[in-house]
Amino acid sequence: MGVKRKSGGFVLRVNPILCDGFGHCGELAPDLVHIDEWGYPMITTQPVPLANLSALESARYAVRGCPRQALHIERTAETI
Amino acid sequence: MIAERTLPRVLHGASGRPLSLSQHESAFGASTSGPLLDHLEASGLTGRGGAAFPTYRKARLLREHRGHHKLVVVNAMEGEPAAHKDQTLLATNPHLVLDGARMLASTIGAKDIAVCVSRENVTTVNNLQRAIHERERRDERGVRFELHTPPQRYVAGEESALVHWLNDNESLPQYRARRPHVLRIGHAPALVDNAETCANVALIGRFGADWFRGVGTQRSPGSVLVSVSGAVERPHVLEVALGTPLRTVLRHGGADTDPQAVLLGGYGGSWLDAEHLDVALADETLVPLGASVGAGVVVVLARSGCGVAETQRIVRWMANESARQCGPCAFGLPALASDLAHLVNPGRDASDAYERLVERCGVINGRGACRHPDGVVRLVRSALRVFASDVEDHRRGHACAGSRSGRHYATVPHLEREEELVWE
Amino acid sequence: MSALTSPYLWYSTRATGMVTMGLFTLVVVLGTFVANRVGGDRFGRFEINELHRSVSMVAIVFLAIHVITTVADSYVPTGVLSVVVPFTSAYRRVAVGVGAVSLDLLLAVWISSLLKARIANTSWRFIHWFSWMAFATALVHAYLTGTDARHGWGLALLVLCAASGLAAALWRFLARPTRAAGRTALSPLTANATLAPRAQGAPPSRPNAVAASRGASRPTSRPLGSGSRSHSNPPSTYTHDAERPFKRRPRP
Repeated sequence: MGVKRKSGGFVLRVNPILCDGFGHCGELAPDLVHIDEWGYPMITTQPVPLANLSALESARYAVRGCPRQALHIERTAETI
Repeated sequence: MIAERTLPRVLHGASGRPLSLSQHESAFGASTSGPLLDHLEASGLTGRGGAAFPTYRKARLLREHRGHHKLVVVNAMEGEPAAHKDQTLLATNPHLVLDGARMLASTIGAKDIAVCVSRENVTTVNNLQRAIHERERRDERGVRFELHTPPQRYVAGEESALVHWLNDNESLPQYRARRPHVLRIGHAPALVDNAETCANVALIGRFGADWFRGVGTQRSPGSVLVSVSGAVERPHVLEVALGTPLRTVLRHGGADTDPQAVLLGGYGGSWLDAEHLDVALADETLVPLGASVGAGVVVVLARSGCGVAETQRIVRWMANESARQCGPCAFGLPALASDLAHLVNPGRDASDAYERLVERCGVINGRGACRHPDGVVRLVRSALRVFASDVEDHRRGHACAGSRSGRHYATVPHLEREEELVWE
Repeated sequence: MSALTSPYLWYSTRATGMVTMGLFTLVVVLGTFVANRVGGDRFGRFEINELHRSVSMVAIVFLAIHVITTVADSYVPTGVLSVVVPFTSAYRRVAVGVGAVSLDLLLAVWISSLLKARIANTSWRFIHWFSWMAFATALVHAYLTGTDARHGWGLALLVLCAASGLAAALWRFLARPTRAAGRTALSPLTANATLAPRAQGAPPSRPNAVAASRGASRPTSRPLGSGSRSHSNPPSTYTHDAERPFKRRPRP
């Protein structure tokens, strides 16, 4: 699933048009995603360091598990 | 040649009818070609459609982008109900707009220009049709103009929605993951600019950047078309220099001299309290007060009106104008409208409605594909701030006199189908 | 090919056929659970989704055994081609043909799901709707092929699978969740036909057509009912062709 990097960060991003509020991401990546009252995800916009492997793994599961393929992981240069 | 430091500029030569091509050339001189991009950069022109993005940066991005058949799209949709500046401009100087589009096209290397105006705006469609025919008769080689008429909706004027219409006949905003994003029509990169921006480009191309900076402020150069409505004798469109005090603009627009507040920017803009009416109409002075010039919309609210009720009517309409692609907008905006309604006609749950309103504003903000929900949240937050005392009264259960009078100042198009709203 | 036959090939094909039918019924029911957003309290929704995917993989393995044992068995001269080309079998042309139709549809669904991350989601959904048809034709194939399905336990299993599938289809249609847009699903089940869309057709961009379309697109206004709360999918007035519910959207 890609080379492990120790520097840099990532952001989990949603395409709000494709998203249909299934909520699988909220279950698979609860640290990154909160579900609002209408079932749609609120994702932290702060970049998470790539070294945080559990967060990255949960983000990858969320991307794979989304029924509408609405999520993608964006690498950012800076970390928190 | 328009003299330096004078107005009007884009509305120069206004008579009862739109200027024909020959009248246009005698009023403005023949159009020139030259290093437009440098002039645009030096002039500091920003987009007049509401987002105020630097025009030269957009043009440069399109020029450097690879692509054979590039397009220029002139956005004259004017989805804002309180704005009628683009239709006024096109009823006065359609050829100025077309000139600007042609100059932009030659700068980026485009051969086709799509002029988009709402199909329900029959007068403007006819004006443009006539202007385009005049150019075709003149047999100008190099560029081809095409008129497109999407249906009138608020978000149809959003640039990605316009491009989506030209691609697929659906006025739906698109999701853009990375900005800057180059919009495409088919495979062709497209430069989308507002009609007023194109008119200013035409003037800069003729008279230069220094001439353009002759009016306005250092950081907001040039002139802007302002649509004044609300508590006015009749709605006006004025061309004002950026940096003019707002009170002067209102006076020239025939507005109520002692208003309660004004709504600036558009229905996705912000309210401004009347105590700040001496502020200069420019982004650098308005942004610290939580407002912006936006699409040049000024809606005046008289003292006899209720800001909360006006906001509720606007938000209800804006909720219906959602494209309903994104959950937070499709469900959140009607929820905001419903909470505001509970606040305007206060029952026992007015305080809960207020709490929900504040919380939902934070939840909805920034989670749509386009900036429509952000605009509504900005409007609601500014209303809660500017009309704080009225909001307090409503929260306690006492509707203010203005809301009971039922007099409305902001023109909100009639909602034809109630079922279109999604309620909880 | 030399005459390769054995009662065990014949029994295997019948047995794996029944198991496949049962497993795919489970897959369809689980898929309906996913679509109707079941779960969240005791079962994670993603778990039901994963179960749906896993059971379908198992079902495909059993289906593969079913097909291979049928083709390999010369007792029933079906031929290899008839597995995917419908109605070319020498043995029970119609029954095996219907099975081939079902297999073709299932192959499309399966391959599109394997490539789900790479194709546009709207394309994937369009193909996935055909899984219902694959399921229905599989049941028809089971009945027509009929060695076991016409009596006794085989018939009971077939009836159970058919009833479950029908119940799932009914529940899928009736309990579909409120979506933000009434037009996201590329299927006739989208409830966007309740009101006429505001703009009609693909108009030419000419002023003389503007007046015509203005007149045509004026909808009849309905009186406002008190407390008219609509929980159905809100119709979109953006798309101008309700006659073409299968309109595809461009890849984002």
